[in-house]
This record gives sequence, structure tokens and C-alpha cells, in this order.
Amino acid sequence: MSDFALISQAIPQVFTVYNMLLIFGGLILGMVIGCVPGLSVTLGIILMLPLTYTFDDPASAIILLLAVYVGGMYGGSISAITLNTPGTNSAIATTFDGYPLAKKGKVKKALDTSLFASVFGGLFSAVLLLLCASLITKLVANFTSVEYFSLGIMGISLIAGVSGSSLPKSLISGMIGLLMACIGMDAVTGVTRFSFGSATLKYGIDMLPAMIALIALTQVVQKLRDFKVAGGKLDDARKIDKQGITKKEMVSILPACLRSSTIASVLGAMPGVGGGVAQFLCYNEVRRTSKHPEEFGKGCLEGIAAAESSNNAVVGSAMIPLLTLGIPGDGVTALLLGAFVLHGIQPGPTMFTKQGVMAYTIIIGCLVANVLLAPLGLGMTRLVAKIVQVRYTYLAPVIIMFCFAGAFAATGNTKELIICAGILIFSYILTVLDIDNTPLMLGMILEDIMEQNFVTASMSYDRNYSIFITRPISAVILIITVVLLVSMIRVNRRVAKLNEQQEAQMAAEHAKMENA
Amino acid sequence: MKKFKIKTNLVSGVIMGVAALLLIILLPSQVRVPAFDSGAPSPRIIPGICLAIMLVSSIALIIQSLVLKQEKIVEFDWAKEKPAILLILGMCVYIGLMLCIGYVLASLIVFPLALFYVGERKPGPYIVVLVSAFAIFLLFKNVFNISLPALGLLGGII
Repeated sequence: MSDFALISQAIPQVFTVYNMLLIFGGLILGMVIGCVPGLSVTLGIILMLPLTYTFDDPASAIILLLAVYVGGMYGGSISAITLNTPGTNSAIATTFDGYPLAKKGKVKKALDTSLFASVFGGLFSAVLLLLCASLITKLVANFTSVEYFSLGIMGISLIAGVSGSSLPKSLISGMIGLLMACIGMDAVTGVTRFSFGSATLKYGIDMLPAMIALIALTQVVQKLRDFKVAGGKLDDARKIDKQGITKKEMVSILPACLRSSTIASVLGAMPGVGGGVAQFLCYNEVRRTSKHPEEFGKGCLEGIAAAESSNNAVVGSAMIPLLTLGIPGDGVTALLLGAFVLHGIQPGPTMFTKQGVMAYTIIIGCLVANVLLAPLGLGMTRLVAKIVQVRYTYLAPVIIMFCFAGAFAATGNTKELIICAGILIFSYILTVLDIDNTPLMLGMILEDIMEQNFVTASMSYDRNYSIFITRPISAVILIITVVLLVSMIRVNRRVAKLNEQQEAQMAAEHAKMENA
Repeated sequence: MKKFKIKTNLVSGVIMGVAALLLIILLPSQVRVPAFDSGAPSPRIIPGICLAIMLVSSIALIIQSLVLKQEKIVEFDWAKEKPAILLILGMCVYIGLMLCIGYVLASLIVFPLALFYVGERKPGPYIVVLVSAFAIFLLFKNVFNISLPALGLLGGII
């Protein structure tokens, strides 16, 4: 079936009342979760994941999760602008100009600029995804299990390389994830691995309870800890004025949006780069090429546009490697990969041949979510911004209750709750040791895909393990992995340096204000 | 005990290195080779490679810390971390209680205590806990057809 035929079949599937409601709900939830500092897009996706189990159509489930992702990316900018506290990591650069503009009393202008840039970036990458996905899958249609295994290596090593400041720590984290996924019965040989005679571990660790413990519960514990330490003190959100962005200003920030969206789309499509990295590179590039670089950091609209269009552009472009190659672009897409697997969808080149309509339904759903973000953002931002002021003690118990109910729902077995507690304790130890748990999560998700392809390749080539290096495409993938890994580590260091400089600058400004 | 510094590269290198070494030693007993050859690669290969990489990375961390003097020091402030540890313990107690007395009752016992511990004195969050415990239980039971742990009292709610 041609791509056009698939798209024409997918469009009516997206525009059902049910799916439109899901997109609206997902966007609102994403905006709410994204704007509360300490809650992240990943938390939103994890909270929604158990609820999607009952969905008849897996595409609807993924569309809902994507809407949460899109809404969350924009939501992060709301608290970045009103509180100088980014709701998500991807909104750090938004604080550079968003907060100074808000301090000048132009909160609405800053929020409108952020919304316009977010929608622009999101649409740009969603269209790119629509145009490129099928082309890329045709290019990689001849991949065998050997190449898929190499792609798995690429996915895990790149995330390990860019997720933290220390490569060995990230590698350890990734390997722990792979080992955790090995626990239980091996699907091929039937041998039990690392169960230590425990009935709880005999059937392995389910992905959902593990992700809930690693991300959601860990975040809630940290946030409640901060609440207790701060004595329940909360930041005051600013009042939102009525003076929004003008048409002239919209036109003036278009080049910044375009430049930033283009760079972020390229970066986002590379496995291992998330919105967190893209925003800094885009912000600096737009500042470098701006006619008024001196205005950056003082409430410049171009600065907000650069940061916000970049992080939303990553949403669509990060889906390119996920849908076409089956490898995630960042932590959130790693989670989405988990969601795909849980819903019985295998992303990769075969998805466009075997489940083409579903693939395009998801892509068009992503596009529609970005379109709907504009009216929803205009209508809801003021209301959502007030949620920042809700005491965390209202939210935390509900989130925890949902998390444990969701963990239990994964298999309906109480062992999931015990595993959840164990992983939560382990996750806390990793945090104390400064080991990021994103590669761990990715390792858990990718292990199954990697091992399956490893076994198939080994059996097909009579256990000739050199095949992974001697097959040209596989060798090229492994070489690209090394090259990208080295370059990404460099980029990561550069971004960390820029971040430190900016934090130092902000700290100095705060000190200056306090003295004044 | 109140505050101490953790050389994270060294400590994680040692802990993870020892763990990797232990698991490598335990590998033959924990992952047995199948009795007959199905043509599939050994189930020990992937875990073995992972453990080897983990061990090498741990050694790299120790070298970074002791030889290259590159260290990331994290200050462990007991006053700040105590609430986190107690909250995690609270969640473990919650799970234990949930298995014994069900989801709703466990929620109604643990969360008010946790809220009181973090310093919440307003009635609002306590009311939210009360309503949410029942609402989430009923949501999972009636909408998702998943019965959360319960004693079977009050029509199965508690």
C-alpha cells in the first residue's frame, strides 16, 4: 500500500471524537505536569501508561502519551517564565529571557511568545516526521537482526554517553538496566537467570513497575523531601497581565523559530540527544546570529523563541529514530518505546509495512496535538499557571496512590509492589552515588530487543559473533556509534559548561538583587 | 554524622565493582547452561558482557578518582536526606500494609501520617487523601476491571 493510501486511512482514525478528547486531555495533563517544578513529562507519561491498558486501539494510547509529551514541553515554560524555575529540564534556557521579561511585567508577552514558538517548533518537526519517516524506513528495509542488534548498541551507548557528566557511571547504569531485564526466565532457552531462588524474581521484572519506581516515585520522594526541608514554603507565581505578543513581534521572531527548529530537528533525530541538549545549542546559535545579541538574557523575545521552539521541535524529530529504527532519541522516547512494547507494537522499519496505518495514525496524532496546543495554550495557560501555586501535599499522595495502583495493574500480581519498593530503594542509592537512572531505564527497555536480535543473528550465522563487525552496514552503524558517542560527550561537556556559566550569572544577579 | 562528603567516583567504583565481581562469580550458579544444545547462544553471554563492562567501568571510576584525581564530591546532609529515607521507608510500610489490609485502608493510614510528618496541618490534603483512596480504587475496579488488594469488606472496597 502506498504512503498516500496509508495516510488517507489514518486521517479518519485520528479525527474521531474519542481520539480528539484524548489529545485534549493529554495536552492539558501535560501542561499541568510540565508546569509544576519537580514533576516531569516522564512522570505524566508513566501516570497515564497504566490507564491506557484498557484502550482497544494501541494507536490511541500512543497518541494520548504523545499529547502529554507535547503539552509537557510547553508547560515547562510556564513556571520557567513565572517562577524562574523550569518545569522540565528542556525549559532551562527559557528562564534566560522568559523570567527577565516577566520581571518587566510582560508575563503574557513572554508566555505568548513561548506558546507561538512551541507550536511552530512542534509543527515543524511533526511535518518533518511525516515526510521523512517512510523514506528512512525504505532505506533501512534490508536490515537484518545483525543490524538491529547494532542499532540497539547504538541506542544504549548514546544515551549512556549524553545523559550524565560521567561516561563510566552512565555505562554502569545502562548495564544494570540490561542485567535487571535479564532477571527471570530466558525466553529462548527457558533457563532462569539471577532469580536467587526467589519466587518474586523467577518471572522477571516487569517494565512498568520498574519505570514507576525509577522515575515517578523517585521524583515524588525528592519533591516531598524538599517540601519538608523548606517547611512548606512555596514560590509566589506572578500575576499574568493582558498584553500579549503583537503580529509584528511574531514576524520578528520567525527567523529565530525557523533556525532553532531546524537545528533541534536535526539534533533530535540523532539518537541520544534530547530537548535538554538541543535548547542550549539552539539558544546559543540564535544569539550568535542575532542582530541584537546584547539583548539576550534581558528578556529578549528571540531568546524565548529559540529555547521553546527547540524543545518542542525535539518531540517530533525524536520520534523519527523511534518509529523508523526502533531506537529512542531520549529518555522520554525511551519510555514511549516501553509503551509501544507494552501495547504490542514493535517500532522499526517493519512498522510501516506491517502496521502502516497505525504508524501514520500516531504521526498525524502528533501533528494534530501540536496544532491544538495553540488554542489550548491561549485559553488555558492562565489557569494552568495557577496550579504552580497548589501545595504539593495535595498532589503527592494522589500521585503515589496512582503509581502503586498502576504498578499493581501491570500484571495484577502483588509481587510488582514488592519489586517497586526494591527498585525505589535502589534508585535512591544511585541518586546518592550521583548515578543517573535514565540509562538504566533504557537498558531495561532495550534488553529484550537487543537479546532477541542477538539470538536470531547468532543462530542464523551459526554463532559466528564476528558477523556484527564483518557485515558492512552493521560495521558502519557501530563506527557511527563511536563517532557520535565521542562528539556527543564533547557537546554535553560544552552544554554543561554553558549551563554552569548561566547559573553563575543568575546567582550573581540574585545576589545583586538581594543586596539592593 | 550530620554531614559527610561522598567521593562518588570512588564509592560507586568500589560498590559497583564489588557487585559486578560477585555476580561474575555467581554467574555459573545463577545462569545454568541448558541441558541440550538448541543452537541458541549461551544465556550467559549478554549478562556476562554486561558484567564485564560494569567491572571495567567501575575500575575506570576508581582510576579516575585515585590516579587522575578527578572526583565528583556530593555532600550527604543527614538533616536533608532523613525525610527522603523515612518517606521511602513509609512507602515500604505502605506496600506491606496494602498486602495485609488492602489498598484503601493502607492509603488511609500511611498518607495522613506522611502528610503530618512533612508538616502539613491544613485539612485539605487529608480530605484529598480520603477521597482519592476510594476514587482510585473504584476507578481501577469499575473502569479498568482491575481489583486492587482488599480485605473484601464493605462490598469489596475495603
